Amino acid sequence: MYPNKHKEIVTSLMDGKFITIDDSTFDILNENQEFYLEYFDKSFGFELKNTQEFYYLISDETNENTSRDISIFFSILCYELDKDGKNFMDELGYSDFHIDEIVDYIKSSTWTDVVKANNQLKDTDSIKRLVGSTMLKRNIAVKHSDDKYSFTKAYRLFIDFARELIKKETNEANA
Amino acid sequence: MFKSEPKTILQFLATHFDLLRQLFEIQVKNEIILKGQLVSTLKEFGNDIENQLFEHKLLVEQNDDYVINQPYFVLFEFILQQFKPLLPEEIEKFGQSIRALFLNIKDDFENDKNLLLERIEALSSEIKKFRDAVTNNTISLLNESRELKANTGKIEYQEKVQKARYLIEYYIIPLNAILDLNHSQSIYNELLAISQFSNNKRFDYSDESIRRQFEKLYNLLRQVVKDISQQSTILSNELLPLLDRIKTESEYLQGFIFYLTNMNCYKEIKPPMLFNTTRDNLYNPYIYENTKEYFEQFKNEEDVFIEEEPTDVEQWIFNKSEYKSKLNSKLPVTDFFSWCKAAIENEKVDFDIDSYFMVTSLIFEEEYEIQQDEERQSISIKTKRGEFIMPKLQINQIKNVSE
Repeated sequence: MYPNKHKEIVTSLMDGKFITIDDSTFDILNENQEFYLEYFDKSFGFELKNTQEFYYLISDETNENTSRDISIFFSILCYELDKDGKNFMDELGYSDFHIDEIVDYIKSSTWTDVVKANNQLKDTDSIKRLVGSTMLKRNIAVKHSDDKYSFTKAYRLFIDFARELIKKETNEANA
Repeated sequence: MFKSEPKTILQFLATHFDLLRQLFEIQVKNEIILKGQLVSTLKEFGNDIENQLFEHKLLVEQNDDYVINQPYFVLFEFILQQFKPLLPEEIEKFGQSIRALFLNIKDDFENDKNLLLERIEALSSEIKKFRDAVTNNTISLLNESRELKANTGKIEYQEKVQKARYLIEYYIIPLNAILDLNHSQSIYNELLAISQFSNNKRFDYSDESIRRQFEKLYNLLRQVVKDISQQSTILSNELLPLLDRIKTESEYLQGFIFYLTNMNCYKEIKPPMLFNTTRDNLYNPYIYENTKEYFEQFKNEEDVFIEEEPTDVEQWIFNKSEYKSKLNSKLPVTDFFSWCKAAIENEKVDFDIDSYFMVTSLIFEEEYEIQQDEERQSISIKTKRGEFIMPKLQINQIKNVSE
């Protein structure tokens, strides 16, 4: 017997979605973690990764460009929120952003060379598509009424990655 | 001695509070009020009260400049709840005097009644000062940390991290040690010991006035221990997590800066692994994005420039007629491919595949007749890049082709 909502879980993960602690399927995954680890490994050779806040799949083939776009997006957004005197952890975790507000943060950022070099961030339409489509379909962003978006806990993958870079740097420097 | 009446001074403070507050802010920032700053502040408020400032001893001269007289400065700090954080050493000095006085009280207990009374009073006074210093320090550290967290001063990131580290290292961690309930040498534990001692002595001393003094000390300590414990709770429940969070945020920010600086994000740093979706239906609502994503993974966003290194190797040009005449002079040739190899090696020392295949193209010339070896033997030609197994072919001139 398969766990409850098995099809929804498998379809979501295979569509590249993050299943976060706020999703109804998170607890089912959590309770059947061993089963799903084996299921994805044996059936497709995919690895089910998890943190305390979300689950996601990875395979040997990674979508490096999209991942890089999203990592750059969050790095710039957090940096600009902090510069604006806001607590970026709280803002990403608990606030809604109007899409124009997000676009403004990216476009008025001082990281102009990085933004210009990135096809998904270099103009308003691209930023809107990155948040409103790419991140939405992966359940990294959630759309609300009036063109407002919030971010799911999946954002942590992309900002924790940046934090780890510094830890690695420090460890290498101390080695 | 004051020339002015106390009520007049208080009235003066109330009337000119905004101006005095500005002078206070100047001194907090610069530790001194320059002559020019005093003149411009008086001008800004349109008040000609310079004389009264000195008459009420609000300002005192310091070389050519001014400072607010200490009692007034303390008053402003108190009513504005704006204290300069004390270094732990400044707080610790209260701890030392408390310890010394308590030791003297215990050791020199029965000797002089008046001295004992004075020591108990002095001890109470030091305990009160200690309590005020700790309370004021917690308030000011909390304000500073909150301001830092909200970045109200809009200070640069580096400065913010530096300030947070400074607060943690020099103020908060040492203050925590002073108030640490679990540390036997902390002042907090010293106060508990004094409280226990005075609790015993308030019932167990022959002289009534001293018993009363111990009673007062005990009551004071009950309150002080409660207050200090509250400050310790604020410190561990609010201040330390707040600063810990600033520290964590600073690690994230350092990470973002490292990732974005110098276009590092487009260089060798691999982003987190992200699942590559391969299954798609045309009626999938995200078909456009998925298709775009699929194609973009093959697209390198960086412009790649390949500079070809100039080659020193001289280009070999195949002289077909020369090789043809060489071949004709040897006809019939029983092993065409081996002949090609020998012919080319005769001309150039370095045998390379491209040249070899150019020579073998002679086989397609119309005037030659090709026959496979009867035993269908194969020949092997070894090069640096591998081994070619080829049929053994005999080549002859076609007889009916006119010269």
